[in-house]
Amino acid sequence: MESLTCPSCGAALPVRDPGLPYSTCAYCQTLVRRAEGTVEAVGTVAVLPADVSPIQISTTVNRDGIAATVVGRVRWGWSDGSWNEWFLRAADGRVFWLGEAMGMYMLTCEYPAVLDVPGIRNFAEGNPMARDCTVKAGGKWFTATDIKDAACLGSEGDLPFPTLPGWTMTNVDFRNAAGDALSVQRDAQGTTAWLGAWSDLAGLAPGNLRQIEGWTMPRALA
Amino acid sequence: MTQPRAVICPSCGGSIEIRAAGYTVTLGCRYCGSVLDVAHEDVRLIKAYRRAVKNFAIAPGARGTLFDVEWEVIGALRRRSAESGDWQEFLLFNPYSGYRWLVLAGAEWQFGTMLLDRPENGPRSVSWRGGDYLRGDSETATTVTVLGEFYWKIARGDEARATAYTRGAEVLSCESTADETNWTQLIPLDDSAVSAAFAVERKFVGAPQRRARRNDTDDLPMMFLFALIALLAVGLVQELVSRPRVCTESTSEIIVGAPSFTTRIGTLEVRRAYQFVTISAVSSNINNRWIDLDYSLVNRQTQQSIDAYGLIEYYTGTDSDGPWTEGSTGAETLIASVPRGTYDIYLDGGAHGWPNDPSVTVKQVKPDEWTVQTSADAENPWAPPEKVTVWFTACTGGFSWGMFWLIGFLLFAVPGAMLWWRHREDD
Repeated sequence: MESLTCPSCGAALPVRDPGLPYSTCAYCQTLVRRAEGTVEAVGTVAVLPADVSPIQISTTVNRDGIAATVVGRVRWGWSDGSWNEWFLRAADGRVFWLGEAMGMYMLTCEYPAVLDVPGIRNFAEGNPMARDCTVKAGGKWFTATDIKDAACLGSEGDLPFPTLPGWTMTNVDFRNAAGDALSVQRDAQGTTAWLGAWSDLAGLAPGNLRQIEGWTMPRALA
Repeated sequence: MTQPRAVICPSCGGSIEIRAAGYTVTLGCRYCGSVLDVAHEDVRLIKAYRRAVKNFAIAPGARGTLFDVEWEVIGALRRRSAESGDWQEFLLFNPYSGYRWLVLAGAEWQFGTMLLDRPENGPRSVSWRGGDYLRGDSETATTVTVLGEFYWKIARGDEARATAYTRGAEVLSCESTADETNWTQLIPLDDSAVSAAFAVERKFVGAPQRRARRNDTDDLPMMFLFALIALLAVGLVQELVSRPRVCTESTSEIIVGAPSFTTRIGTLEVRRAYQFVTISAVSSNINNRWIDLDYSLVNRQTQQSIDAYGLIEYYTGTDSDGPWTEGSTGAETLIASVPRGTYDIYLDGGAHGWPNDPSVTVKQVKPDEWTVQTSADAENPWAPPEKVTVWFTACTGGFSWGMFWLIGFLLFAVPGAMLWWRHREDD
C-alpha cells in the first residue's frame, strides 16, 4: 500500500482500504478524496461528539462467517438521538456495516436483491416508506419498524461516501422475531440494502476493542 | 473522546457528567429534577422542575457487579400503575455489555434484559426460545420521576401499556407505546445479591414495601380516621380520669398598690392518686391593672406545698388606631398531678396599676387590722383606697387543652406529612 499525506496538514493518511474513495484526516478533520494515487481535499468534517463506544478503527469482528476489520465510522443524528455506523472490510475486499445503537449491534452485508421488491423500489425512487411494510429478504420476512431521516454528525477513517456537514440520508430498519435485521439507506448517491442480524457485543467475538477510561474490559472480550 | 462529557443544566446551572455519552438522549438533572434533551450539542430543556429528586433505592452513579459484569446505574425511574402502585426501575450500563434493567417492586428485585429476538404470539401465551409464557395482567404504567440518563426520549407522565407473560419465576414483559413495542426478560434477583453489588438505601433493604396495593389502594384516609378517633379517646380519657370534681369558692378584695397579702381560698380533697386542680380567678372591675396570683396548695398531712401562678391583666387605651384593649379579667391556672390528700389553698396576691402604682400608705393599727391610704388622687388625698374584687373557684379535675392539642398535633403529624409528601410528589 502506498502512503499518502493529507493535502491540508501534511499528516500521514493511513490507507486502510484502497477501494474506498473518502478518508477523514485524524489530525485536521479534512475529508480527502482519493483517486488513482492522487489526493484532493473536499472539505472539513465535523469533529465527532464524545461517546463511550467500545468499537474503534481497527476493531475486528467474527460472526456468521464474517471476519472483518473496522476501517471507518460515520455518526448519524436524527431528531431524537444519534447512532454510529462502523464500516468494515474483510480480507477478501467484502464490506459490511456495523450499526451501533442502544448498546446493541447490527452487523449487515450488502443485499442488493431486495431493491427489486416493489415497496423498496418505490422507496428508492424517492417515495416515503410505509411503516409496517413487510418484505422478504434472504428467505425471511421482515417488517419496517423504524424510519429515520438522519444527518451526518461527523466521521473518521475510510468511507464510501463524503461525510461533510449537510450529508443526509433516510434509513429504514426492518426487523423480525428471530432477531434478523434489514437496513435500507437512501442518500444522494442512491439506495443500498444491507442484511444481517442483531447481536450484543460478545456475539460479535470482537478483537482490539477500545479501552474506555474508567472501565475494565471483560476478560472474554479482551 | 474517552473523557466523560459534561453538560450544564439549563434550568439550574448544575454541571452533570454524561456517563453513556453518545447513547444518552434524555437526562433527568440530579440537582433540580428537570428533564433535558441531550441528543444534540445544545442541551435543550424538555421540562423544568425546581425540586430535587427524591431518593431512590440506588443512587445513579453507583457501580456494582451482577452476573460477573460491572454495571453503572446511570438512570432511575419511578413508575406507577393503578393495579401495582409504585415501583422503581434502574438503568444499568456497561460500555462493553450494553444496557440492563434492575426493577424494584415492593421488596423484590428483578434483572431485566431487552430481547433482540421477539416472542411469537399465541392467543393466551407467547413462546420464546422454546418456552411458553402465560399471559398475565395488563396495566398502564406511568412514569412519575426521571433521574439520570436514558437512551430514548422519556419524560414524566409518559405512559406505556405493559403486559406480563410468566413462566415460573421468569417474566417476559411487553411494553407498548404508540411508537414501539419492547420486550424485556425479567428474572428474579436475590435481595442480598443486589445489596452486595450496590449501596442500597437502608429503608429499601428487605423492606416489605407497599407491595401491589390492590386491595388497600390508599390507606391515608384510614390514618386520618384513626388519628381522629385516637384524639377523641384521649379527650374522653382525660375527662374521665380527672373526675371527681369538687370545688371551693371565695372572694377577696385586693388593694391596688398595697404590698401583697396572703389569704386562704379554701380546702380541697384530692381523692385519686393524682388529679388536676384548676383554680380560676375572675375580676370584674379592673382596668389598667394587673393582679399577681401566687397559689400554694399545702398538704395538711405533710405540710408540703405545691406552687402555681396566675395573672389577671386588663388594659385599655386609645392610640392612632383607635381604642384598644388587651388582656382579660379572668385567669385560669391548671396544676397537674396533685397527689392524693387534703389541701389548703393559699393565695399570695397583689394588685398593681399601670403604668404606675398608686402610692399607698399602710398603717397597722391593731395586730390584725390595717389602715390603708392612697394618694393617687392628689385632689383628694383622703379618698378611700382603690380595691379590686376577685372571685376564686378552685376545683379538682380539669381539662388540659394544651396537652390535648399537643397530642392532636402528634397524631395528625404522620398522615398530614404523608399527604403533603404525596401531593408534592404528584405535581
